[in-house]
Amino acid sequence: MANQGRLRGRAPFYWAIFSPALAVMLLLTLYPMLNVLVTSFQDYNYLTEVRRWTGLGNYRDILGDELFQRSFLNTVVYCVGTTVVEVALGILLALLFYGDFRGKSSFMIAAILPMMLSTMVVCAVWKTLYHYDLGLFNQILSSLGLGRVGFLIDSGKALVSLAAVDVWQWTPFAFIVVQAGMASIPAEIFEASLIDGANPRQRVLRVTLPILRDQILLLVLLRTIDTFKIFAKVFALTRGGPGNATETTSFFIYREAFSYFKLGRSSAASIITLAAVVLISMAYMRRILKED
Amino acid sequence: MASYVQKKRGILFPLAMALVLALSLFPIYWILATSLKTPVEVISTSPTFYPHEPTLQNYAEIAKGGYLRNVANSLVVTAASTGASLVLAFLASYALSRYRFPLGANKAFLVWIIMAKMLPPVVLAVPIYDLFARLRLVNSIPGLVLVYQVYTLPYCIWMLFGFVKALPREFEEAADIDGASNSQILWRIAFPLVRTGVVATAIFSVIVAWDEFLFALLFVRSPDKMTLPLVVSGFIGEFETLWGQLMAIGILATAPIMAFSRVVFRQMTSAYSLDLK
Repeated sequence: MANQGRLRGRAPFYWAIFSPALAVMLLLTLYPMLNVLVTSFQDYNYLTEVRRWTGLGNYRDILGDELFQRSFLNTVVYCVGTTVVEVALGILLALLFYGDFRGKSSFMIAAILPMMLSTMVVCAVWKTLYHYDLGLFNQILSSLGLGRVGFLIDSGKALVSLAAVDVWQWTPFAFIVVQAGMASIPAEIFEASLIDGANPRQRVLRVTLPILRDQILLLVLLRTIDTFKIFAKVFALTRGGPGNATETTSFFIYREAFSYFKLGRSSAASIITLAAVVLISMAYMRRILKED
Repeated sequence: MASYVQKKRGILFPLAMALVLALSLFPIYWILATSLKTPVEVISTSPTFYPHEPTLQNYAEIAKGGYLRNVANSLVVTAASTGASLVLAFLASYALSRYRFPLGANKAFLVWIIMAKMLPPVVLAVPIYDLFARLRLVNSIPGLVLVYQVYTLPYCIWMLFGFVKALPREFEEAADIDGASNSQILWRIAFPLVRTGVVATAIFSVIVAWDEFLFALLFVRSPDKMTLPLVVSGFIGEFETLWGQLMAIGILATAPIMAFSRVVFRQMTSAYSLDLK
């Protein structure tokens, strides 16, 4: 920034090229968020367009609503479960396939294909695999003389079945992130630990994983944030059912707003969800801010 | 790296490799295999692991059903939203990395960008829907392109900002001394230097836009304006067992993105390597 003075003289130019993106962001994110915040304190009838202030009424209503509680719990269970499994598997795979071997990059590219598929296509194929009567899984189970499993229609199993789809689709992401980090650890570090007589287990636990700590933390955050949004899979595979076994907060908000037109309630649920997301991401944000 | 790697790999290693490949590729194989089966074979009570009478019948049905229109919609929406995001994001990143806006706006904006990337999009849906309804942008392709900026713009700004910030300033300064105008410096000097960054950003933005479901679901009403994820979801819901056709659409919805696998692998490998020096 040596020539800050000259640059300051060009303020109109910089404003001109910054403002289109700024305008779009204000219109599509800031305005809607403020709007939702205001609506969350109102009773808003979509058809008559009448807004009535209700204070904290919507929040009390939502927090006491069993379906919302259930959806929030499901979301947290799903989010934590998939993130832990995906990251653990990713680390395991990266350790297993560390270093060079013949055909490594072709192997990696084949292994990451699941995350390249469109989510709806992933849902489509898993829906057919899970199908109670005609799905491959149940056909195999019954030909082995085992009972059929209601993967998506048994309320005790539906959430796990959804999570399994996410694990299949996104473990490759964890794999590639951890392996990229691991591949970039300089050889000298391992040589030093070898000279110090560290055995393989010690090398993994005391050298590799500590070096990758920040990387793994970032990965956990990225997966947490992504799985917390879960909507498309619920919509395509279970619609929140059976009963409310796979109801999630995004799906709850969607239904309150676009099926029941209860916009005050959906807004309050949105703000609560948003608060949860901000809380989750605090650690991440703090690092970004410190970096600059 | 050599000395750490020179360990002997046991006979279990190829087995582990085969297992990983089987798990990750089987569902993809299943999409392809199902799309080539006859309707009768698809719903037969004893499973067939490969199409016994391979047929392109499902693909013909898809073409006849007018679904190529939806492929075109997806292509247009994806290309337009990515293109728009790239232009806006490049301009904004350049401004943010070369000029200090008042009131700490630079940092505030970047934090806002991250926030926008994190929040569940359904949270924004109602006010955007109201706004778009008033502007007559609901159920229109341009409306979809605009609303997809919710995903693609923060993404592109975040990625391009990193690339633009890392550019050496010397070229721009030299051009400035030679009397080049601001926009000449921007498009003739800075832009060519970040071209590889722009390509990488574009690919990830394409993947996001191609995959988008929620806003398409909320904003599109007429079948002729639907994008592929919406068509697939409709098929899952309405035609319980037309799996052959469903998977044929799945192949159409998958092939264009799969083509990027190699680039994505390279890009992610370099993006997520540690900066240990």
